[in-house]
Amino acid sequence: MSVITTPPAAIPIVAESPATRRALRPRRRRGIRHTLVVVAFLLPSALPLVFFVLGPMVAAAVISLTEWNLLAPAEWVGLDNYANLLGDPATWAVFAHTLYYIAGYLPLVYFGGLALALALNTALKGRSLLRGVYFLPVVTSWIVVAIVWRWLLNPSNGIVNATLATFGIDGPGWWTDPAWAMPSIILASAWKDLGFVMVILLAGLQAIDPELVDAAKVDGAGWWRRLVSVVMPLLSPSTFFVVVISLINGFQVFDQVYAMTGGGPGGATQVVVQQVYDLTFRYGSAGEASALSWLLFLVILAVTVMQVRGQRKWVNYA
Amino acid sequence: MRTTPLTAIGLAGVAVLALTSCSAGGGGDDGPVTITYTNFISNGGNEENLQAIVDAFEAENPDITVDVTTLPYGDYGTALQTDLAAGTASDVFDIEYTNFAQYQANGVLAELEVDDPGVYRGSVLEAYQTDGAQFALPSSFSTVVLYFNRDLFDAAGLEYPSSDWTWAEEQAAAEALTDQAAGVWGDHQPVSFYEYYKVLAQNGGDFLDESGTNVAFNSPEGIEAAKWLVEKSGTVMPTIEEGQGTPDFDTNLFTEGKLAMLHSGIWVFGTVADVPFGWDIAVEPGNTEQASALFSNAVGVSADSEHIAEATKFAEFLTSSEIMVDTRLESGWELPAISDEAELSGYLELGDPENRQAVFDSLDGVALPPVVAEGQQEMQDIMTEELVEAQAGRKSVEDALASAEERINAAIGG
Amino acid sequence: MRETTRGRSIVLHAVVIAGALVMFFPFYWTVVTSLSPGAGLSATPSLWPADSGLDAYRELFTELPFARVIGNSIGLAIVTTLVQLITSATAAYAFSRLAFRGRTVVFGVYLATMMIPLQVLIVPLFAELKAFGLIDTYLGALLPTFASAFGIFLLRQAMNQVPFELDEAATLDGAGHFRIFWTVVLPNIRPALATLAVFAFMGSWNSFLWPLVVLRSPELQTLPIALAGLQGQYTTQWDVIMAGSVVSILPMLALYVFAQKYVIQGVANAGLK
Repeated sequence: MSVITTPPAAIPIVAESPATRRALRPRRRRGIRHTLVVVAFLLPSALPLVFFVLGPMVAAAVISLTEWNLLAPAEWVGLDNYANLLGDPATWAVFAHTLYYIAGYLPLVYFGGLALALALNTALKGRSLLRGVYFLPVVTSWIVVAIVWRWLLNPSNGIVNATLATFGIDGPGWWTDPAWAMPSIILASAWKDLGFVMVILLAGLQAIDPELVDAAKVDGAGWWRRLVSVVMPLLSPSTFFVVVISLINGFQVFDQVYAMTGGGPGGATQVVVQQVYDLTFRYGSAGEASALSWLLFLVILAVTVMQVRGQRKWVNYA
Repeated sequence: MRTTPLTAIGLAGVAVLALTSCSAGGGGDDGPVTITYTNFISNGGNEENLQAIVDAFEAENPDITVDVTTLPYGDYGTALQTDLAAGTASDVFDIEYTNFAQYQANGVLAELEVDDPGVYRGSVLEAYQTDGAQFALPSSFSTVVLYFNRDLFDAAGLEYPSSDWTWAEEQAAAEALTDQAAGVWGDHQPVSFYEYYKVLAQNGGDFLDESGTNVAFNSPEGIEAAKWLVEKSGTVMPTIEEGQGTPDFDTNLFTEGKLAMLHSGIWVFGTVADVPFGWDIAVEPGNTEQASALFSNAVGVSADSEHIAEATKFAEFLTSSEIMVDTRLESGWELPAISDEAELSGYLELGDPENRQAVFDSLDGVALPPVVAEGQQEMQDIMTEELVEAQAGRKSVEDALASAEERINAAIGG
Repeated sequence: MRETTRGRSIVLHAVVIAGALVMFFPFYWTVVTSLSPGAGLSATPSLWPADSGLDAYRELFTELPFARVIGNSIGLAIVTTLVQLITSATAAYAFSRLAFRGRTVVFGVYLATMMIPLQVLIVPLFAELKAFGLIDTYLGALLPTFASAFGIFLLRQAMNQVPFELDEAATLDGAGHFRIFWTVVLPNIRPALATLAVFAFMGSWNSFLWPLVVLRSPELQTLPIALAGLQGQYTTQWDVIMAGSVVSILPMLALYVFAQKYVIQGVANAGLK
C-alpha cells in the first residue's frame, strides 16, 4: 500500500514540558561523544535515504539530459528530452489519462467513504464486523484487485455482465473497450480504497465534540443542515488528508493499470508511470523516461504545495 | 546471544531467504555446465515440442544442462530489453528478425562460430549477419495464410478460397458468410503493425521511404490498405468490445466453428488440428499484387554469457538438428530454416491442412517487415495503436495515418 | 416518532449490510472460480463451485515455483519490516530526543523524501544497483525499502508523547542514550511500532514495480509479480489465475485478522495527525 507517502501536511508542535526544554536546550560544548551518538542514531536511516532516494533523484536529473538505452553508453543531449516530451501529444495524453483517473476515483472514494463513515458512526449493530469487511480490500494487493476485477468485468463471461444480462441489459466491453477501460480501473480502485477513506473519516467524525452537533439540533437545524454547517467544517482536516493522499497516489497510479489493461486498449489507459516504465524497459529511452519522471515529480510537488497553501482557506484545525 | 522474539523473527526471515536461494546451484569450471534459454516461440502449445528438442540435446551432451524459461509473446520484448540492460539475460535467447539489427548494433549479441553453415537456408542465414559475421541463428520461418472453415463454405454454397483470389472475392465471401444472429463471422484479420505492412505491400505501397528514416505509407495505397484492415470490424469481424484483439480470441473463434476465414500464421496448425469440421488453407489474397508475411525467429547468444561455446552448441542444435526438423514438421509448428528441400517435402504429405503446398506458394511473394535503425518497437506500437483508433471509430483512417506518420517519423528519425 | 427512528435504523442496517455483501462478493467469487475447473470457458457463471476440485491449486504448485514464490514474499516482507523498524526508531529518537545543529533542516529533508515516489526513481536506481551487481538479488529488492520517511514521522510523533521526565529519571540512574532508547522510549511506543510493522509488511507484500524490475529470475519473484505473469500465461484459465489470487490473499488476510486493531487504528491515527 502506498500510504507511505504521507505528506508533511502539518507537523504538530508538541507542547513542551520543562524536561523537554532541558533535553533539547542548545548547548555550546557537547563534545565529540555526543556527536558520535547523533551519528549512530541517524546513520541507519541516512544511508538508505541518501543512496536510494536523494542520490538517485539527482542522478535522474542528470540522466534526463542524455539519450540512453541502458545498453550502449549514454549521449549528452541537453534539454532535448524535455523539448521532445513537451512537443509530443503522447505526453499530454498520459497526463490527461492520469487526471481522468483522479477525477473519477477521488469523488467516488471520498463521497462513498463519507456516506459509510456517517452510517457506521451511528449506533449500528455489528459495527466493527462491518468495518472489518469494508476494510478488507485495503490489505489486498493492487495486482490481486486488478486481476479479480478483470475477471468480474470480463465482457464475454464475467459475472457482472452475466448479471446485467438477466435484467436484459447488454453490458459494456469494460476493459476491452477504450471508452470503458478507465472507468473499469476507477471502479476497481474505488472498491479497494473505500474502506481506507472510511476509516480515516470515521476517526475524524468520532473526534468531533457531540455537544456542538447537539447544540445545532437544539437550534432546530435538520440532519442535512447539521452535516453541511457543523460536521463538514469540523471534518475538514480529515478531508484534507484524504484529498492530499489520494492526489499523490493518484498521480503515481500504475499497478492496477499494468495488470488490468497494460495501458490499452489503444493507449486509452496509458498513465504517466506506465509511460515511464514503457519508455525505459520497452523502448530503451531511459533518458526520456527520466525527464518524464522529473515532470511528474514537479507536478506532484506543485499540487501538494498548492494544497498545503490552500488549506488555510478551508481546513479548520480546531 | 539472548534470543528475543524480535531477533527470532528476523532470523526466520533471513533463513527463509537463505533456504530458498540454496536451490539454485551452478556448475564448476570444466565440470557440468548449466546454460539458460529464454524463449517465446514455444509459448501457447509448443512447450512440449521444445522440451523434446532440449531433452535430445541433453542426451547428446551429458555435461550440459539447459534451463528453459518460456514467456508469453506479449511480455517477451520488455523482459528481454530489461534483462539485457540489467546484464541478466539468458545465455541463449530468442530474437525476432525485426529487432536483430538494433540488438546487434548495441553489442549484446556474441559473434557465433557456425560449424556447418550449409545446413541453413542461405538467404535466411544471411539475414542475421553483419559485415559477414554471424550474430544469430535462424530457428524457424513461417508465413501467414488464410485458414477457412470448409463446412461453413459448403453450407453457404460458396467456392473455397484459392490462390488467385483478391480482396474483392474475400470481401464478398466474408459478407455472405457472416450471420451475426447465429454468432458466425465471415473473416478475421488482426489490426496491427504486422498485418498493415503486409496489406500495404499487397496494395503496392511502401512502409518506409528510401532514406529509411521516414515513413511512406500515408499515400492513396496506404489509406486503401488501412481501410481494408480496419473496416472489417463490426461488419464481417467482431468489434473490440466483443473481445477482438485479445490473445487467442481469433483462434478460439475459429476452432469453435464460428469463424469462416482466419488470417493467421502456420504455427497454429497444431491448435486447429482437432476441430470437428473440415478446414484448409490458401495463400492470402492480395490486391494489386500477392504478398505474404514472412516471419523469421532466431536465437542469439548473449555477449555476456560465461559459456559461449556451450551456448553456441545448443543454439546450433536448436536450429539445425534432425530431431528439431522432425519435431517441427510433425507437430505443425513453424518451419525449420534448413536448406534440405527433401526434408521439407515430407511436410506436404502430413495432411490437415490438405493444401500444405500453399505454405510454399506463399513464399513466392513475400513482404518483409520494415526495419529501422532506431525506435523499432515504438514504430510498431504506434502503428498498431493508430490503426486501432481508426478501427474503434475514434479517428478517421486518414487522420490515424497522418498521426501515425508524424509520431513514427519523430521516433525513428536520426 | 419512535416508529420512524426504528424504521430508519432498519433501512440503514439493510443498506450498510447490502453494501458489505457487495464489497465482499469479489472475494467470494475469486474462491468459487478457483474451485471451478474450466471457468472462463462456460458462458453461464454459476454461483457455486462447478465441480469442487483443487485442480487449479495443484497446477499452481506443480507447474510453477509457487511455494518458493510465497517464501520469497514472506522473507522479503519480514526483513523489510525489521529493518524499517530499526532505521525508523533510531532516526525518530534522534529527532525527538537529541539536540544537534541543523536538526530541523535534516528533519525537513527527511520529510521531503516522502514526496518522491519510487516510481520516479526506477531508472537511476536500476543503474545504481546494476553497478553494485545487485540486480536479480534479494538484497537489490530490499535496499530501496530500508528507510521510510513515513515510519520516521510516525515514530517521532509517538516518541514526543513519551514524557521527557522518564528520560531524566533514567539519566539520574546513569543511563546513556542507547539505554534510554531501548529501555525507556521503545517500550512506551509499542502501539506505534506495531502500526509501522503492519504498514511495512503490507507495503513489502504488495509492492510491485520495483520487484518487477529488479527480480529477474522466476525463482526470485514475489507473489504480485508471479500473479501478473500468470495472466499472460493462462489467458483463459481463470480458475488457475484465481487460485493464485486466493493464495496471495490468504497470508495477508491471516495477518489482518490477527492485527486488525493495529491496522485500522493506525490508519485512523494517520488521518488525525
